[in-house]
Amino acid sequence: MLEADRREVYRYLGLRGREPDAGTAQTVEEAVAALQEAVEPKQVSRRFPLKRDGDGGLDIEGLRVQSAALSRNLSGCDEVYLMAATLGLGPDRLIARAQAVGAMHLALALQAASAAMIEAWCDEVNDGLRREAAGRGKVLRPRFSPGYGDFPLDAQTGLFRLLGVQKTIGVTLTDSLLMLPTKSVTAVIGIGDEAIPCPTKCAACNRTDCAFRDERRDTP
Amino acid sequence: MSDFLKRLGRERLYWDGGTGSLLQAKGLKGGELPERWNLTHPEDVLSVALGYFAAGSDIVNSNTFGANRLHYPDPNELKAIVEAGVGHVVEARRRCHREKDCYVALDIGPTGRLLKPMGDLDFEEAVSLFGEVARWGEAAGADLVLIETMNDSLEMKAAVLAAKENTCLPVCATCVFDEKGKLLTGGTPESLAAMLEGLRVDAIGVNCGLGPVQLNPIVKRLLAATSLPVIVNPNAGLPRMEDGRTVYDLSAEDFSAAMAEIAAMGAHVLGGCCGTTPEYIRRTVEKTRSLPFTPPVVKHRSVVCSFSQVVEIGEKPVIIGERINPTGKKKLQQALRENDLDAVVALGLSQEEQGADVLDVNVGLPGLDEAATMAALVPKLQGVLALPLQIDSSDVQALEMGLRLYNGKPLINSVNGKRESLDAVLPLAAKYGGVLVALPLDEGGIPATAEGRVAVAKKILTEAAKYGIRKEDIAVDGLAMTISADAGSARVTLETLRRLRDELGLHTVLGVSNISFGLPQREVINANFFAMAMESGLSLAIVNPGSAGMMAAYRSWLALSGRDPQCAGFIAAYGQQEGSLFAGGPAARKPAAQASGGTLSDSIRFGMAERAAQQARELLAGGADPMALINDTLIPALDAVGRGFEAGTLFLPQLLMSADAAKAAFSAVKEVLSGANQAVKGTVILATVKGDIHDIGKNIVKVLLENYGYRVIDLGKDVAPEAVCEAALKDGVRLVGLSALMTTTVPSMEATIRLLRQRCPDTKVVVGGAVLTQAYAEEIGADHYAREAMDAVRYADEVFGVG
Repeated sequence: MLEADRREVYRYLGLRGREPDAGTAQTVEEAVAALQEAVEPKQVSRRFPLKRDGDGGLDIEGLRVQSAALSRNLSGCDEVYLMAATLGLGPDRLIARAQAVGAMHLALALQAASAAMIEAWCDEVNDGLRREAAGRGKVLRPRFSPGYGDFPLDAQTGLFRLLGVQKTIGVTLTDSLLMLPTKSVTAVIGIGDEAIPCPTKCAACNRTDCAFRDERRDTP
Repeated sequence: MSDFLKRLGRERLYWDGGTGSLLQAKGLKGGELPERWNLTHPEDVLSVALGYFAAGSDIVNSNTFGANRLHYPDPNELKAIVEAGVGHVVEARRRCHREKDCYVALDIGPTGRLLKPMGDLDFEEAVSLFGEVARWGEAAGADLVLIETMNDSLEMKAAVLAAKENTCLPVCATCVFDEKGKLLTGGTPESLAAMLEGLRVDAIGVNCGLGPVQLNPIVKRLLAATSLPVIVNPNAGLPRMEDGRTVYDLSAEDFSAAMAEIAAMGAHVLGGCCGTTPEYIRRTVEKTRSLPFTPPVVKHRSVVCSFSQVVEIGEKPVIIGERINPTGKKKLQQALRENDLDAVVALGLSQEEQGADVLDVNVGLPGLDEAATMAALVPKLQGVLALPLQIDSSDVQALEMGLRLYNGKPLINSVNGKRESLDAVLPLAAKYGGVLVALPLDEGGIPATAEGRVAVAKKILTEAAKYGIRKEDIAVDGLAMTISADAGSARVTLETLRRLRDELGLHTVLGVSNISFGLPQREVINANFFAMAMESGLSLAIVNPGSAGMMAAYRSWLALSGRDPQCAGFIAAYGQQEGSLFAGGPAARKPAAQASGGTLSDSIRFGMAERAAQQARELLAGGADPMALINDTLIPALDAVGRGFEAGTLFLPQLLMSADAAKAAFSAVKEVLSGANQAVKGTVILATVKGDIHDIGKNIVKVLLENYGYRVIDLGKDVAPEAVCEAALKDGVRLVGLSALMTTTVPSMEATIRLLRQRCPDTKVVVGGAVLTQAYAEEIGADHYAREAMDAVRYADEVFGVG
């Protein structure tokens, strides 16, 4: 069963490291329990060769990406995993339902808890890929998603096509390239010969005044 | 009848297998759009079709799976791709000299987008984009349409309607199920069978997703549920990565052995999907050709369904919640007139909790655009609840709108024996499917006798049969009319129910509470009549599931008639109930948890909604002045919470729980206040901008603004700049709040502000959302940046000069 890291849930709720009150804690537990019944975790991932073109762009089987941040993340890699993971429509339905009856505190807790759960699910998928890579004497870079830094969301269309995301796990893109179900993640994971330190998640972001910034991650 | 239809279901037919991996072997790149090869690599595409005809496929798909205008925006190119795709299969068949006994299927796959209400693609847009492909495909020589790899039943419905409205071709429909036997959007083999039979496709089935071994139990369920031929097109087993490539775990030999088991179970059409090749099909044909063939058997089941839940009529009486009907309900009338659909949805959710199996949806109100309201409400309801619906309207356009957008197979209320009604409603029931409620009245009025009502029912059955509507898809209303006007009316109704059941084998329906109009203590009469009606064979009861008496009658009758083994349902409902059900009238529910001290302010501070409402009522009953209660207690308590949040001593969830409690107390006070006294500080428009689908932040601001005395016009999410301006102009609104969560949608926020500046220069704009900052907000021209929800409230107070 997928777990939701409570620290992460409370961080998403804006608690900034402080202890939750009893009411909030109870709402969060209620949300996690409901979500554990409702999620349908699915994933698809595949390994692709990584090529670089002359002007610093990346080419993954025809998917061309111009992104300094991703290039840095993938330096020294000649292969990548593409992955897509989702919790299915269950969380979206629960959130819509909570909002429809005006239970905004529950909607918010569901939102935060399902965000933590999709991260947990991605970590699980990522771990599987890490073991597979280790079997070939390779190590993985931190996963990097379209929308991080200057990695454009436009890459979603090509990534979806390469992995057959819609067909295999049912995730779709909106007109503005957002994913539905909303609790879905796509990512590129570099496959290298040696580990190099690279900033990830909050530490990779220059928004230092963000209300949700995770201070723990500032020093990898 | 087409030649294909003469053979479908009468002999075993074979479909083709996978295309992608064959084209990739010829050089198609993983990220390339495969349909473009119809134009650039015609011989390669043709050779795939040749391979399948040679292997024994009776039906071969055109290479048009993803050919729609979302993937190919140039209409000339798209049309050429579809025509060539069909043309290649026609040509391959000619080269094999199989024109007489092989068929070309126009292949239609999913759009890759999710339809509203869960997604952003409009239903009619989907119908339109499938429709043009279907038209071109038929013109190019396709013999049938295959709609495949669907994992959303609503998208499937859009595609089926598109094929039927634009072509005369047979339609086959296959879906992707996961290991639990579900579509991504929750559909089951049973719900898909019900919906697709209602839409009158010619065959249904499964494809992709799993291999034949995993699909076996799902095919078994489908065969048990449907009266149609069943198609099984699995993958070559389960995928795994091998050296960076996707490979499937079944060899052609293993695949065909598993397919032989599926053929023996009774599947009618066999083929393959991802990873399968002509060799897989050839071996499947070899292994199954001589197996005995069982034609589909008509099941005569009466079912309705939503996108995920199936309700079978006939096992035990079905409870249809009657509350979504504005007749005689002032609050609901007001909500509908103000387009406050959330209030209507809340009525649906509460009935679900109270035990309704189906919800009636009636929005008939003089002066209201019933069709538009139905079009908005049906998807809205289906976005949050999974109960099947009864689309209920005397307005034919509203009825059609509801049936068209409904995701599943609904109850349709209603048709009657008048010529005008038969001519208008029967075609709709035939086209969209559903279980049709028939009222046994006609030009001669309501027959006074059971004999007369049964006669009209027979007439309606005969008329419905002309449209191919089977009697299991009809439920006849026994017509309950008040006994205060005619002492014999209940007896006639009950006799009608019995005769419809015994003489015609029909299901029956009643609006039960109509029996007691004009009488005191209606619930008592209603409950007793309900029990009598169930004993007389009532199949569907339109009742208020919030009525303790009605539900008690229902549960008692189930227990007494042996339909509740060990009285488990009865005990589950009443085992915890203290005292008599009848002691305290309708309020005899479990007493609310006793308030353990604390003031009304404390209840708001700690977010205890029920207690806050109860305390407000007690204070009012004790003589407190309503306005003083608002100004001296509720507002200060709420303000204290707001300040605590701003100071960082309280968190957002607490703020929201307090807001909820304050709202409960406010509504208790408003019950005793006349409308005039309810001052509104001002009107604010809220919207999540075009392209953005995240609306929790916006909804939080809405709740808080309402709590602080503002009227909020909520335009929802993914709102175009023009729509925001129109709403602002219409009501002369002075403050607009815009929300955007993604960096990519901030430009659309900027565009909205620009348009507002042009057209409503006096309207202020406050913006918020995770990616915004003060600097960013200034850059896009907003008047104010709200970092937190409370900021928006404070800014509103500033704009409206209050607070």
